[in-house]
Amino acid sequence: MTQELARRSISENLSRWGKVLLGVILAAFLLGYPFVFTGPFPQHLMIRIFLFAALAQAWNILGGYCGQISLGHAVFFGIGAYTSTILLIYWHLSPWLGMVVGVLLSLVATLLIGYPTFRLAGHYFAIATIAVGEIARVLVTNWPFAGGAVGLYVPLLPEGLRTFEFHTTKVPYYYISLLLLLAVTTTTWFLERSRAGYYFRAIKADPDAARSLGIPIHRYKLLALAISGAFTAMGGTFYAQYVLYIDPESVLPLMLSVIICLVAVLGGVGTLWGPILGALVLIPLSEGTRVYLAGMGGAGRAFDLIVYGALIVLMSVFEPTGLIGLWRRIQRALEVRVSYARLAAARRGEQTVRGPGSQ
Amino acid sequence: MILLQSVVNGVLLGLVYALIAAGLSLIFGLMEIVNFAHGQFLMLAMYGAYWLAVLYGVDPLFSLPLWTIVLFLLGVATYWLIIARVLRAPMLAQIFSTFGLGVFLQSLAQFFWSPDFRLVPSPLVKGRIEILGLFVGIPELVASLGAVIAFALLYLFVTRTETGRALQATSEDREAAALVGIDSHRMFALGWGIGLACVGIAGVLLSNFYYIFPEVGFPFALIAYVAVALGGFGSIPGAFVAGIIIGLVEVLSGLLIGPAYKYLFVFLVYLIVVFTRPQGLFGRY
Amino acid sequence: MRGTFRRYRWLVLAALLSGLVIPAQLGAGPVTEIKIGAVYPLTGALASTAKLSKDGIDFAVDIINNRYDLALPLAKSEGLPNLGGAKIRVIFGDTQGSPETGRAETERLITGEKVVAVVGAYQSAVTATASMAAERLGVPFLNPDSTSPTLIQRGFKWFFRATPDDDIMSKNFFDFLKDLEKKKGIKVRTVALVCENTLWGTDVCKFERKYAKEYGYEVVTEMLYPARSTDLTSEVQRLKAARPDVVFMASYISDAILYTQTMKKLDFNTQAILAMDAGHVDPAFLKTVGKDGNYIFSREVFSADLGQRKPIVRIVNDMFKKRYGYDLEGTSARSFTAMFVLADAINRAGSTEPSALRRALLETYLTSDKIIMPWGGVRFDPANGQNVLGRGIIVQIQDLKYWTVWPWHLASRDVIWPMPTWRERK
Repeated sequence: MTQELARRSISENLSRWGKVLLGVILAAFLLGYPFVFTGPFPQHLMIRIFLFAALAQAWNILGGYCGQISLGHAVFFGIGAYTSTILLIYWHLSPWLGMVVGVLLSLVATLLIGYPTFRLAGHYFAIATIAVGEIARVLVTNWPFAGGAVGLYVPLLPEGLRTFEFHTTKVPYYYISLLLLLAVTTTTWFLERSRAGYYFRAIKADPDAARSLGIPIHRYKLLALAISGAFTAMGGTFYAQYVLYIDPESVLPLMLSVIICLVAVLGGVGTLWGPILGALVLIPLSEGTRVYLAGMGGAGRAFDLIVYGALIVLMSVFEPTGLIGLWRRIQRALEVRVSYARLAAARRGEQTVRGPGSQ
Repeated sequence: MILLQSVVNGVLLGLVYALIAAGLSLIFGLMEIVNFAHGQFLMLAMYGAYWLAVLYGVDPLFSLPLWTIVLFLLGVATYWLIIARVLRAPMLAQIFSTFGLGVFLQSLAQFFWSPDFRLVPSPLVKGRIEILGLFVGIPELVASLGAVIAFALLYLFVTRTETGRALQATSEDREAAALVGIDSHRMFALGWGIGLACVGIAGVLLSNFYYIFPEVGFPFALIAYVAVALGGFGSIPGAFVAGIIIGLVEVLSGLLIGPAYKYLFVFLVYLIVVFTRPQGLFGRY
Repeated sequence: MRGTFRRYRWLVLAALLSGLVIPAQLGAGPVTEIKIGAVYPLTGALASTAKLSKDGIDFAVDIINNRYDLALPLAKSEGLPNLGGAKIRVIFGDTQGSPETGRAETERLITGEKVVAVVGAYQSAVTATASMAAERLGVPFLNPDSTSPTLIQRGFKWFFRATPDDDIMSKNFFDFLKDLEKKKGIKVRTVALVCENTLWGTDVCKFERKYAKEYGYEVVTEMLYPARSTDLTSEVQRLKAARPDVVFMASYISDAILYTQTMKKLDFNTQAILAMDAGHVDPAFLKTVGKDGNYIFSREVFSADLGQRKPIVRIVNDMFKKRYGYDLEGTSARSFTAMFVLADAINRAGSTEPSALRRALLETYLTSDKIIMPWGGVRFDPANGQNVLGRGIIVQIQDLKYWTVWPWHLASRDVIWPMPTWRERK
């Protein structure tokens, strides 16, 4: 109910032109960013934000909308990264095709993983996903064909869109990651409005009720996992082509699964903008604390992580719905002010104040 | 002989896992919250034992009661400061409140005590004994005996005392317990206290033979999560049995199949058990 | 009017401030400071090792920047004479032990902090990606301490490595075993290989296997175990079952500690343990395991007792110990040396221009008396950037200290072989 109110208030306050203007400004900013910030570091930062926003958004489809909390999404990321790299190394297949194969393989994996694990509820499911992730990591670590613990170097090829490798510039990586984020966000947007999205939320709210309503919950959970896993695999291929080196410790660790989930949670699960907001805040925060705080009290003192940990606690305690919740709270506060202003204006018999969007 | 030796090692190791898992399981049984900072509390207890031993020459064996109480108080404080505020929050916020606490504590430890590895200098319990050609480390033996005693006390407390029964009633049905006048907040705080006291005991006993550094808790906690889920969330006997199973699986698969795969089998056993019994071995579901 | 000022007061303030700052920068004149980047895992599981590297680097920078009466390059002058006495400043980046972060930090240091060269990153996997960043940006990357042989097989132009790698050092072990047989009649037949299962350990096992075969030793068991295990009893049980004459180990610090304790607990005895430095030579190792660490052999790139044969080592080590409270060891000594190699090259280049610096690095020739390492000196192979004069030594822990025991001409003590059983040790 309050969500509905908040949404309506946005559309009320922003006139249509205001919205269009905002959209244009945002698009111009995103498209122009790499030309304004030409250094590799700001570009790297943005690429990381896009990548993690996309991963968190993909996670959000399963975890946020469907309510199945996975702490093993690194598996799909790893499948994407390893499939394209192995195909490239052994069969010289273009990473773009590798990405497609990776997605297909991750779909197979979602079936294999999802089928048994979806019988589990709540924490049993979450720990089962941890178990699956760790098993995958151990297997790859001991699999010489996939490079084992040594990992795989992506062969250095002439740069270009065809080879999916760029050595002199990060700009193409920037747009590809932006595209990935757009794709997964658009998918989420459609899902939100589709029957499947409605079913997802019903399963999250009350699986038993959903079942009694005749929703085939098992099938829809699998669907959510499949979509989620497919996009995560794409992220994996992107990572491999971006960093050009993969090993089990960097593409399959438990910590990666946790961070993907953390980004979504901090932003606000089950919302379209939550994961993006989460990445926008969390990634610069972790990079920023590393750069600016790591030196405090002497390097190696982990001062940055102290701040990071404390922030996570404060956030979960005081704003458990995530940054989106915080944003809505601010909005509501503004709302109250606006309505007070309206009231005052009406009393003075002046023209009605139309809200900040139209000024 | 080697097999028998491994079984002994596995049981000894498993008992320590079990004690760490017990606290976790108790907390979960009460309020369905997984404490993701469990490993970091283990680390704090280990450092506590270490510093008392180094600075004041108090052997871990004697500082055991002190750290049990301190960890108990820490648990109560954690409950009132953090957990009580997220009780009604979504499961994810609960996960990350404790996860964040874990990151915070671990980095704090690194900040104050540096990332160096430490070992309690010549504790009272040390050395090994040999029984019929089987070697048993005395500190390990003491640790597992401590775990068994702690388990027995915990079990007696929960089943035989008034407070323990109230605790049990709360974990079974919060509303019904509230109706008969049990303050669920107090019970939860007590649960956190006891849960962390268990991990405190485990930490101090572990410090007799295990190295200490800020990240020491993580692998133990990871195994404890698996043990808790394997035994059934909330079941104390479940944690006990599951801990021993995991200890045995780890040691035996390492011996018979290959060290590289030992954790794979730990996780595999968990999956097999929950797929056939989704509520874990002893879970109520 | 007042309103206008209020609106623009920040602008005005900023203008005033920049007016103050800009002349100060213009007045600075020629280069007075040369920035060098250093990427290390300053937080995380390897933080204690990274601190060794950091101490080594800080100490070297102090000697280069200030006047010391030492027979090291640039010690007697303040700063770099060919650049008008410019001082070196090292900016540290935290890799958190992750290859991706390592790369990002390297990029940030090069493009953001404008460092002229980068050193790092201890872990081979991180060095792999960090040096890739330097390669792409065309800035020299000098690696003091990553021993993975794959690093120099990549055909990089900007990558230099001072330390000998695992290939060379695995071979050293078997040369040592052959020498033992020749000189002392000690015969070894079977060996066991125990390696942690990340990049480094896996590589080490591969080379040890290769040389064992080449030199005619039987490998009775080969174990890749998960790094940072909570328990290692099953590994030691397997060793007991295999009964090797000699155990080769490649472990990081936490596992090295746990192995030693578990071997004692389970009464595992063997003629000798030959460790591949890392965990077994970390200062925390002996501090933690105490006398249980005695008799273990380790390959090493450095040992403080080299001072008995090489006076400069003794002098430097005394100074270092006074300041940091512990002896120089392989990690700190290597980063210490790397800073001199780099400073020497920058000084000879007379500029911080990347290609001039690269040329100077390629022309590096430091003789063995100019460095504290037991190497023949420093000279880089132009094809792959590897220091061709690097070589390892073998140390043994005796009476809670590391003593050089091989090669014989650098040895400060004789080997104790076989190691006493745990029962005999009391």
